[in-house]
Amino acid sequence: MIELSLLLFGISIVAGALGSLLGLGGGFVIVPVLTLVFHLDIRLAIGTSIVAVAATSSAGAARNVTESITNLRVATFLALATTVGALTGALLVGVFDARLLFTLFGTVLAVSAAQMLRKRPLRAMQESTPAMETVGVTAGREGGAGRLADRLALHSSYFDAAEGLHVPYVVANTGLGLGLMYLAGTLSGLLGIGSGVLKVPAMDLAMHIPMKVSTATSNLLIGLTAAASAVVYFARGDIDPLIAGPVAIGILLGATQGSRWLVRIRSDRLRVLFVSVLVVVAAQMILKGIG
Amino acid sequence: MATPAGGYGALTPPSPRGVRAAVGKTLRGGVSLAAALLLTGYVVGVVTEPGVFGSHAVEQAHLAARARFPHSLAAMWDGIGHGSGEAIIVAGILVLILTPVAGLTTSAVAFARRRDWLFTVVSAAVLSVILGSFALGWLSS
Repeated sequence: MIELSLLLFGISIVAGALGSLLGLGGGFVIVPVLTLVFHLDIRLAIGTSIVAVAATSSAGAARNVTESITNLRVATFLALATTVGALTGALLVGVFDARLLFTLFGTVLAVSAAQMLRKRPLRAMQESTPAMETVGVTAGREGGAGRLADRLALHSSYFDAAEGLHVPYVVANTGLGLGLMYLAGTLSGLLGIGSGVLKVPAMDLAMHIPMKVSTATSNLLIGLTAAASAVVYFARGDIDPLIAGPVAIGILLGATQGSRWLVRIRSDRLRVLFVSVLVVVAAQMILKGIG
Repeated sequence: MATPAGGYGALTPPSPRGVRAAVGKTLRGGVSLAAALLLTGYVVGVVTEPGVFGSHAVEQAHLAARARFPHSLAAMWDGIGHGSGEAIIVAGILVLILTPVAGLTTSAVAFARRRDWLFTVVSAAVLSVILGSFALGWLSS
């Protein structure tokens, strides 16, 4: 068991680091490794991955929430939709054809990946900040939901250590974002996976939140969504301490390191890394759907 | 809608420093407690149950066949009472699962202290959805 534990532990460090850097649960690493390499029952693999999500979220957010990269107000507000979505998903399990859902999910991710690559870099965003007042008001008028973001005081700023810039940002399309988060929560509740892969593109593409803030905020969100369903998995006996234990320890170490990297990484590199992982996850989902 | 006081040029951090610091502190506390329990459980397990924790000849078969491990609070407390490493690990896992919820509770209280009633209500609503899911999950299993 010791050798096995050490192997799980090592893989989990990697999953935790990537997960907290990218705002994902790390399930995209943990579940395939446990089922394909260790031939573990899918039920126990998903139970373990839920623990991995909680660990990634807490260890990652512990640092970034204090450093103000995480937007706590956005996370709290969007959590309304993701948790209700997760509950909806759990109640709807079995109603839809899972293979169809996997294919659909995979396709949405692939399209998001393509869209995200086209987004303008951080530098361009910084250059537009003198006009931020106009941008904010315009977003409020045109997006319809920007006014909601005004009322909720969601707009914010963060210090980007990699660029040495103070980056203010205006949150747009809050209503659309809320709807997308509900869908993301429902899908992850239905399929038991994909906690962050839809949340980050929703914040980045629809709500115009900077990439680093999107991944850090997603990181806080996924822990809340996971907690809602983790109790079900625990009570059902899907969380085996001898497997989830070493995974959790590895994730905690990796995620703590990942949150340090998030402070220093350049946003354009973070975006490319995220899109690469998105492509891998999209392929995993589509393969599950068709095969 | 009027521009917020101070204008967009003076965008404030997402939440007052005090709120963020409190949430960060709670999350760090949960993570440290969970890590301590997980490691203690491992050490206890390796020392007292080398058959389960130490042997590697049986690991594959063992993993496939393992079905009996604590997965209720009663079984966990019972196991901890008997000094079972496995049960201590389960406690660590539960602390980990509850840590984000503790963070949310902290932010609800911190928002209330600052009389930010809108976000106190939003935090409390999220909290009640999660607690509702807990109850549903527990009842349905």
